[in-house]
Amino acid sequence: MAQPVVQTIHRDPALFWWILLPITVVMILTGILRHYAMTLLQTTPKKQDLPKIRQQRSLVRGVNLRTNANVLSPSSFQARKAYMVQAYQEGKFLADPESRGKPRPNPMSDPAAMEGMMGMMKGNMAMMVPQSLIMGWINAFFSGFVIMKLPFPLTPQFKSMLQSGVGTRDLDVRWVSSLSWYFLTLFGLQPVYNFILGSNNAANQVTQQMAMSNPGAGMMGPEQDPDKLFLNEAENLEVLDHQWILEGIEERLVAKFAA
Amino acid sequence: MAASTLDEERELTIHPLVATSMQHNNQVISNIRNLTASLFGVAAGTLGLESYPGFIFYLAGTLLVSILLFVLKTETTPGKYFYRPLGDMWLGEVFGGLSGFVLTWTLFYGLVRA
Repeated sequence: MAQPVVQTIHRDPALFWWILLPITVVMILTGILRHYAMTLLQTTPKKQDLPKIRQQRSLVRGVNLRTNANVLSPSSFQARKAYMVQAYQEGKFLADPESRGKPRPNPMSDPAAMEGMMGMMKGNMAMMVPQSLIMGWINAFFSGFVIMKLPFPLTPQFKSMLQSGVGTRDLDVRWVSSLSWYFLTLFGLQPVYNFILGSNNAANQVTQQMAMSNPGAGMMGPEQDPDKLFLNEAENLEVLDHQWILEGIEERLVAKFAA
Repeated sequence: MAASTLDEERELTIHPLVATSMQHNNQVISNIRNLTASLFGVAAGTLGLESYPGFIFYLAGTLLVSILLFVLKTETTPGKYFYRPLGDMWLGEVFGGLSGFVLTWTLFYGLVRA
């Protein structure tokens, strides 16, 4: 089969000023807007009453003891471990000791859990609304003609998506309409946001969707039974293999200076 | 195997890794990669590279940047700054910069050539 003729299309230079540039500017500004919207929409954590905070913090205390156990001498670690394990097993830190062993209420009826879901909903809205708005805008104003040529070939499967509104069967897939420039900016503007807004910005929806898809342990926290968490932590402390960091420090020091 | 992981754990408790420093170092690498990737995109688009030569140009450019990082930023001792120098410095963020590269490559190719 002979090599197909390279298709060339002469385009008006004004396409750059009236299509590429506006889309890019709009995408950058939307990212900045989304960043500030997310910052403003973030609900300040509700003030909790003393027993609840005590319950949370004492669990964190156990975790901290476990992670930093190596800097404690064996005797002081043993003392702390004995105290924490006993308190955990007796349920000393529980916010309401009476409800121990009872089944948890439905998380949907818990107002605190609803709050968290509202926060997630807001985040989703802040991502979805601009995305669909801009896609609609581009489809309404800029569809139906080719604006640029990609420097790399694509498979014909992309033809229907990237040449939307261009009704030519034989046109090379490398010629694309404005919607593909939108996709390129959608994925490629993260460095721009990094330089404008600082590194931990909320501007890019792609990274956010990735974060949304695996919600961490923090979200499931309030729905779990605190008593079970305490017993679990007590068990973790019990089985911890404690190694003191200063063990054999003399030999290490001498070896270091001898070297 | 078990003994070596125990040794490694012991070594880590004696010389702990500071999470904020690691984060900062990775951030510096990521910023440099992103910026240079966009500039490589400008260069590739202006040169009119197409398909494979363009991506090879990107890989060669990132290799050059890695060497520069090795010589200038870490003063040829990347072990001081990165726990795993191969993964974090030589290969870190290579594909993170690719989308920025493709963006500027397409833009300048479209403006200059096609």
